[in-house]
Parts: sequence; structure tokens; C-alpha cells
Amino acid sequence: MTDFINALTQDNLSYLLQGLGITVAVSLLSIIISLILGSVVGIVMFEKIPYFSSLVGTLNNIVRNLPLLLIIFFSYFALPQIGIRLPVFWSTVVAMSFFEAAMLSEIIRGGLDAIDKGQFEGARSTGLSNRQTMTHIILPQAYKKMIPPLISQLISLVKDTSLASGVVLADLTFRGQVVYAQNSHFIVPVLIFMTFCYFIVNYLLSLLAKHLDRLLA
Amino acid sequence: MSMIEFKDVEKYYGDFHALKDINLTIDAGETVVLIGPSGSGKSTLIRTVNGLEEIQEGQLLVDGFDLHDPKTDMNKIRKNVGMVFQHFNLYNNKTVLENIMLAPRLVLKRDEEENKQLAMALLERVGLADKANNRPSALSGGQKQRVAIARSLAMKPKCLLFDEPTSALDPEMIGDVLRVMKEIAEDSDMTMLVVTHEMGFAKAVADRVIFMADGQILEDSSTEQFFQEPSNERAKKFLSQVANH
Repeated sequence: MTDFINALTQDNLSYLLQGLGITVAVSLLSIIISLILGSVVGIVMFEKIPYFSSLVGTLNNIVRNLPLLLIIFFSYFALPQIGIRLPVFWSTVVAMSFFEAAMLSEIIRGGLDAIDKGQFEGARSTGLSNRQTMTHIILPQAYKKMIPPLISQLISLVKDTSLASGVVLADLTFRGQVVYAQNSHFIVPVLIFMTFCYFIVNYLLSLLAKHLDRLLA
Repeated sequence: MSMIEFKDVEKYYGDFHALKDINLTIDAGETVVLIGPSGSGKSTLIRTVNGLEEIQEGQLLVDGFDLHDPKTDMNKIRKNVGMVFQHFNLYNNKTVLENIMLAPRLVLKRDEEENKQLAMALLERVGLADKANNRPSALSGGQKQRVAIARSLAMKPKCLLFDEPTSALDPEMIGDVLRVMKEIAEDSDMTMLVVTHEMGFAKAVADRVIFMADGQILEDSSTEQFFQEPSNERAKKFLSQVANH
């Protein structure tokens, strides 16, 4: 107990909570960007546009099969070599968005594929355009099917931001390491505190999923 | 004036020759029933009329538009040519009322108040006004099909296509759907093309009967002539088979 009190001083707590703030900020930005990018890629793969869709599908497969850490290293160490210099925060967001978009796009394509073709034909036969059919009929039904796998993937995303501590992003994981490096008695309290933080963020995400599920029902 | 005109139409699925040398004219206001054994191409034929299937050769004119011309805007044709499907294809994510109101709102930009009144009137007509706020999943097959018919009618189409509208229904549901279709055929000057196995309906409602087999039109006669004395041998055989049930 004294270890907890010594480890989680006000200074250390505010230092760690700032790290949590960075974790949440990187996660939120990556979620938004990867959802948009992933939807576009998923729809392109679903629409089966000659050549283009299979090209996008192949590239997507390559990205999906790389370790995220490699992509983070790439965006942090390799992009500056070709003249794109980003602060570590943004190079993490770029890497996460890129990787997660590839993961999400497969979920989105799968959700679209699961919609009965009759829903398209019903809509097209009343004169709705392809876009109207997608926005009013197909996507709302597909998103509902996709919510459970999407949320699992987004929970992974939040946890995977910790990989960026490897390129010294000052996120929760990185700051935790900094704090318990001062004193080995701090390891357990700090790790428990970090566990608690990640759990709360991800638990909120799964509550959001339940809420969305009811909303779209 | 002709509503639908097939001229030397050929349709392939890969190597499979689904429609062979189709020549057929259906005038505005006519009610035509299309029958034939399964796999004869009748569903394929009706689906080409609103562009759900493409044709590979020949000419297909619907409401004056050439469907084989890539410049033709399919949505313009579909505005005037409704379709009722074997499996209803109601929008699962919308209420019954929304199913009917969606296309008139998006495609015809119909005034919201007028749209709702018309949709309710149509639901009244098919006997389902009390289901307006239900989801399709809460309806029986026959009720779904009547909603699907109301959805097509809401666009006020010039032509309505029915692709085996009663084939997926329990026997006791079929009567209600056929009654609605009969009323439409009798009360309106809409062109109707119906793929069905309901011979009673064909006899009572059709102006003409077309018999198809193996992707070809084998007989195209007036309803009386077809049921009394079909000239084609396969049509005769088909009629005797369905009559024996």
C-alpha cells in the first residue's frame, strides 16, 4: 500500500494522466481517419470496379499482413528520409490510421457482402441511384452487422497505440515506463494504474457499441 | 403505342445462352402473363426490362428508351417501370410507411405531406394501413408482398413488372396478393408484365399469354386461344401438367 502512495504522487499521477490524454487523442484521431479511409477502401473492394478494386485489394492485403510496429517505424524513421518530417504524435496517427484502415476495410467489405442482393434490386428498381441505395439502404444495414467486429478492432487500436512508445511517443505506456524506471517498487502500482486506464477507455468504447447497436436496431 | 419492345434480343450468362432471338412487343395498357417451365428464361426476360440484367445483342426499347445504349440513364426508366420481386425485397431497415415513401421523396422530390397521404392511401388499398409503422420483419409473406406492390405503385409507374410474386408465399396468402394485382389490372391503364404459375390469375386477368422454354418464346397468343387450343406442342404439354395438380 505504501508503494501505491509513493508511486502515485500528485506529480506522477498528472504526468501519467497527460500520457493517457495523448493515448486517447492518438486513438480518437486514428479512429476517425481510419473509419473514413477504411469505408472508402471497403466500398471500393465491394463495388468490384474492374482492375482498380483488385489493385486496392492487393495493396490492402499487403498492409494488413505487416506488423503495426513496422509501419510505425516506417512512418517515424523512413518518411523523414523522403522529406516528410512529422512530429512523433502525427507520425503515429498516420501509421495507426493507415494500418487500421486496412483492417477496418475488410470488416466493412464483409458487412456489405453480407447484405442480401435483393436489397439493392429493390432499391434500384424504384429508381434510386447507386449512391442513394448505398446511403439509405445498404450502409445502415451493413454498419449494424459490422458494429461488433468494428468495435473489437477499435479496442485493439487503442491498445496498439502503446506500440508507439517504441518511437518515444509520450503516451500512457511510455510515461508508465518512465515512472517505474525511477524505483522498482513502483512497477506494480504503475502497471495496475495503467491497466485501469486502458480498461476504462476500452470499456467506454464497448458501451458505445451497445448503445449504437440499440440505436440502429 | 408500344411500352416494351424486344427486337432480336440475345442474352448470355458466360457461355449459357439465356435468351434466344426474343422478339416481343407489349402495348401500353396491356396485361401480359409470361409462363413456362423453370429455367425457361422468363425471369431473365422480365429482369432485362428494367435493366437488372443486361442484354448482349439486339434492341430493347422501354418507354421509348433504348436499354442497350450505354448512354441511357437507367434510373429514368426505373422511375416509370416498377418491379415486384419473388422475395419482396422490402428495405429491412425502414418501416412499412418509409419503404413506400422513400423513392418518391428521393427520386420524384414529392412534397412530404402529399407523399405521406398517398402512401397511406396505398396501404389502405392493399389492406395494411394498420401496419404502417411496423418493420417488414413483423409481417407475413403475403403482407410483405402487398407492401412491395404499394411501394411500386407509389412511384405511379407506367409499367409494372411482377417476377413470380406469389411463388414464395404460403397457399393461404396467395389469394390476397392476386386480388390486389387483379384490382390494379382492372382499375388502371398501367402496363403489366407478370411471370407466374397461377393459371387461374392468367385466365382471369391477362390479355395475352406468352409461353417460354429454353430461352425462346414458343407461343404468344390471346388468353382465350392459349388456354383453349395452344398451337405449340410444349405449351400443350406444360398446360396439361399444371392443370393436373
